[in-house]
Amino acid sequence: MSDKAAEVQVPFQLQCSVNGELKTIAAPPSTRLLTILRDEMELTGTKRSCEIGRCGACMVLIDGRAVNSCLTMAYQCAGKQITTIEGLSANGLDPIQQAFLEEGGFQCGYCTPGMIVSVKSLLDDKPNPNVDEVAEALSGNICRCTGYGGIWRAVQRAIEGRRYWK
Amino acid sequence: MLLNRTSSGGRWRIRPDGPAKVTGELTYLTDMTKEDMLYGLVLRSEHPHARIISVQTDKAKQLQGVHAVLTYMDVPGLNAFGIAHPDQPVLCEDRARYVGDAIATVAAETLAIAQQALEQIEVEYEILPPVDDPELAILDDAPLLHPQGNTLHRTAFNRGDAEEGFKLCTHIIEETYYTPRQMHTYMETEGGLFVPGDDGRLTVYSPTQHGFMDRLQLSRILAIPQSDIRIVSSPIGGSFGGKDELNVQPYGALLAVNTGRPIKMHNSRWESVRAGLKRHPMKITMKTGTDADGKLLAHQVYIISDTGPYSTLGAEVLNFATEHVIGPYRYEHLDVKGVSVFTNNGMSGEFRGFGGNQAIFALEGQMDRLAERLGLEPWAFRKLNMRQLDDLGPFDQPIAMTEGADQVWDAVSTSPLWLEREKIPLEGQSAAEPWIKTGIGAAFTMHGAGLGVGIPDPAGGRLELAVDGKIEAVFGYEEFGQGLIAALEQMLIEQFDFAQEDIRIIIGDTDVVPDSGSTTASRATAMMWKSLQRLHTPFTEQLLERAGAIVGRPAEQLRLSEGGVRKKVGDELLITYGELAKAEGEPIRCETSFVFPTSPTDRVGAHFMYTYSAVAVKVELNTLTGRVKVLQQYHAVAAGPVINPQGFLGQIEGGSSMALGFALMEDAVMEKGHYMTRNLDTYLVPTIADQRGKIEVQPIEHLPENDEHGPRGIGEVGSVTLAPAIAAAIHQASGKWVTKLPIDPSYLQETPFFLSKAVNGE
Repeated sequence: MSDKAAEVQVPFQLQCSVNGELKTIAAPPSTRLLTILRDEMELTGTKRSCEIGRCGACMVLIDGRAVNSCLTMAYQCAGKQITTIEGLSANGLDPIQQAFLEEGGFQCGYCTPGMIVSVKSLLDDKPNPNVDEVAEALSGNICRCTGYGGIWRAVQRAIEGRRYWK
Repeated sequence: MLLNRTSSGGRWRIRPDGPAKVTGELTYLTDMTKEDMLYGLVLRSEHPHARIISVQTDKAKQLQGVHAVLTYMDVPGLNAFGIAHPDQPVLCEDRARYVGDAIATVAAETLAIAQQALEQIEVEYEILPPVDDPELAILDDAPLLHPQGNTLHRTAFNRGDAEEGFKLCTHIIEETYYTPRQMHTYMETEGGLFVPGDDGRLTVYSPTQHGFMDRLQLSRILAIPQSDIRIVSSPIGGSFGGKDELNVQPYGALLAVNTGRPIKMHNSRWESVRAGLKRHPMKITMKTGTDADGKLLAHQVYIISDTGPYSTLGAEVLNFATEHVIGPYRYEHLDVKGVSVFTNNGMSGEFRGFGGNQAIFALEGQMDRLAERLGLEPWAFRKLNMRQLDDLGPFDQPIAMTEGADQVWDAVSTSPLWLEREKIPLEGQSAAEPWIKTGIGAAFTMHGAGLGVGIPDPAGGRLELAVDGKIEAVFGYEEFGQGLIAALEQMLIEQFDFAQEDIRIIIGDTDVVPDSGSTTASRATAMMWKSLQRLHTPFTEQLLERAGAIVGRPAEQLRLSEGGVRKKVGDELLITYGELAKAEGEPIRCETSFVFPTSPTDRVGAHFMYTYSAVAVKVELNTLTGRVKVLQQYHAVAAGPVINPQGFLGQIEGGSSMALGFALMEDAVMEKGHYMTRNLDTYLVPTIADQRGKIEVQPIEHLPENDEHGPRGIGEVGSVTLAPAIAAAIHQASGKWVTKLPIDPSYLQETPFFLSKAVNGE
């Protein structure tokens, strides 16, 4: 009994992979992933903005799918593969990042990491999405600067670029 | 030629700040941390209007981990801020005038402790009835929000005799227009890091649009010399005018000085909503008349603007609106009045377009209504009444002459989109889906740049050869996403023949940059251009003379180029900039300062430089839902030479997206002085799904010969004409006139024909 009680008191330790590295992080299980990434791991490419899952600035990939890190708690990340914007360019710029650069798919840049993460998730799933699928996949990422013109062009270019790249 | 990547050729460049943005490597000021830092929070009023009887901070101070709990008694200097007129308390003494009013500020070791401390502060309020209706607020019996009354500012402009003019009119349109409390919704909320130094100086890392203004304001609040404060203010995750005024800076600065520890502040979205600025909601009543042929005779306007509890730039915004309700048209008789009114609603202030958005929506609405009344094509009606080349400005002031009005009018009149308008059958009905209606509308404006007459508007910058051989361009401007660094880099490359690698751009740090004035009012690129024009000859001469002396050739035979100085004839690199920097001699350095060109008039707020813009837009209205989709936009913008094609396109596209929100979806609704929205789940801005339509941008670069002012501003003009164009398009689609933004879908809903049959049938 006493052993069991002691076991329960062991603080939660999150074990997961972040940008390809296995991590063990001591944090209460309800800590938001956004907080862990920004405050504990200093991965500040993941941005804080609305904190209710509406704007997408904090989007990261969890097992390849775009997720708002402000709505994800530590316990939900156990054993998962987490990729942040920093992880996307670990081996040089991703073709999506290159496309955003070339087409001007950003201005202030604050939404850009989350936007690129969402595009990555979309194109890994559907390499040739139609406009409805792009609109659907990116409608959770707010950009206040560009009016989305450069983002549409960047996504189009990324689709073409990835085809060529392969 | 339409502006796009292909048409721009080699001038379409990757932004120098781009790689760090797309990789997430860029450190925004709200990303910064420092060992030993404390977290700062602000306690804000629960009530839109209340007397503060007492503020008890003892319990909060006793919490472990709390390092400071400050109230108005702890403000060493001026307990007020405001760019134009400092009347907003840093920390309220005995009265709260809106739900963002700050009462206390705390610093603690963790955010959770700081939050707990806020909850432990006991404020005793006597709740006062909120003054939430600007029309009631200016009545004699309204409770006074300030000793001088509830009127912040009044404007008036008269020409001829409007009452007499109306007697001569055959057609008169009277209408009242309402515009929303639009929120900037920059993705990075306000925040930063405040670091007290060992040398007694304070470094503020926090976004603003004019670092020197923040330094001045903070020095007044802290009662320390400006030289003891350093403001680092770029990069910024969006501003749109919203971060020009102080926001978290007074609290971060006070806490840092008080605790001697670095303070981190970063507003939650709700904090940003409740405390931050919004676009002034305006009610604009217009009476406009023409003779039988459609010539404008008289125009009467009354603007009432809800400025919220404190001044900031409310008076200046009203001045701007007053100028822009007159706009690019000729009238015999004018009678324009405006009033900016204090209320207990949220703070209104500077926002991209600066009062132009509201004014142009109303003015262009009048033009469309008059054209319809006269049976004239709306664009032809505008031509009939449009300003002529040498006409004075809206306030009868001399202005920098351009052919912009004609140019953008012509561009729209011959655009395929506008020509399509005639083909849309009456009420734009489609046979297959009769509830879907389409329409095309257009609107037109001249939009002022610079701060206008009566406000100090300095400009300037510096070029120097740094010790490591880099060409340093040093300006007191801010990068909030608009592409200022990219524009500056492109000008240096194109005008001086430097390579990208030769250049280092330094902005946004009051310790090292000259005061170039504010990065507002669509002025920065034009002022950098003018600075470089002034610096070009002296800086080039200094470099070439030094190079000539070293390589033993006359400077006249040399030229600047990528990597260093070359012979004019031939391509031989004679000396690199690095070698030049190592050579002995006085530092090579040129600085210029001047003021933004202003009109020779006494009329406060009158502008001298204008950008002309016109937009045509095609919309689809679903009469079952009342929802409007913008299918296509065509923007013609006469602003002189395009400095940075990607940035130009981005400014027009981005500005028009804000205008789309202004027209169709955005309003920070308030009830009795309380925000009904706290976050982006109830304040909706356009998403990519709302921006699926095609946007074409046509820059018109031609300027009159001898024009010495170069590029005009384009930062705001994209955001001011779309709303009235959408309203005109909706009218073509539905026959309904829109008077209130954002457009209420229920107003556009119609009972479907099959339902009315069922109801009326057997």
